[in-house]
Amino acid sequence: MIVVSAQPQSDPLAATALQAQVAPQWHVVVLNDPVNLMSYVVMIFKKVFGWSEAKARVHMLEVHERGRSLLWTGAREPAEAYVFTLQQWHLTAVLEAA
Amino acid sequence: MKRVEVKLNLEAVAPLLDAIKAAADELQPTLAVTPQVPDLEEEFAADWRQELLQNQTSDLNILLGLFGTDFFITGVVPLDATNSEPILRACSAVRLWLRSQSLAAVGDEALETGEMPLLETTETQRRAFAAYVFLGTLQELIVQHLDPTELE
Repeated sequence: MIVVSAQPQSDPLAATALQAQVAPQWHVVVLNDPVNLMSYVVMIFKKVFGWSEAKARVHMLEVHERGRSLLWTGAREPAEAYVFTLQQWHLTAVLEAA
Repeated sequence: MKRVEVKLNLEAVAPLLDAIKAAADELQPTLAVTPQVPDLEEEFAADWRQELLQNQTSDLNILLGLFGTDFFITGVVPLDATNSEPILRACSAVRLWLRSQSLAAVGDEALETGEMPLLETTETQRRAFAAYVFLGTLQELIVQHLDPTELE
């Protein structure tokens, strides 16, 4: 069922901007595991996020040395999609509220 | 389409296939890593896990398909853009499973360096370890020669 509001919006653009401003943000984080190869993890980061080799390597090393790396922050839906894709590659990916 | 044919030593690899096939069978009903599913309604969370499992099963079937009748005649496994990604993922799934099951008692350092204390391990562990190393080598080879990000 589609409900159409008869109430006129005073300033729809301002309302949308406010909504975007307060929309909760989500982090996509990858945790270290002792199995997946460094070259494999770099390749996945390049593929999933479209990053350069250098940027992918920085994040891979952060995972390796600090146990976790924050890969992406944004709206819930794309964050979930990233987590799912990374889990398909058998990385330990989690969604965290920003 | 870029294609790599890898000639393997049948005598060396054939015994490892038992460990790989056993792991793949054990992975039919379960995921190699228990995923941390985001806080979703139970129905969506179940769908999330189910889709991961279906993808994992499909990837494992492609990996096992490499070692069919042709392999036992020629010793060759063909790798290309169509099978490289599923094989990479399947290798990861089997390695994670071997690590958590047969190799749980073996330290991370031994797994990382490839130096396993032979006297302290069972035949099952040695075979699982060899399969673990073999699949890692296969992954390295694919990333080196058929990096999916380079082929796109």
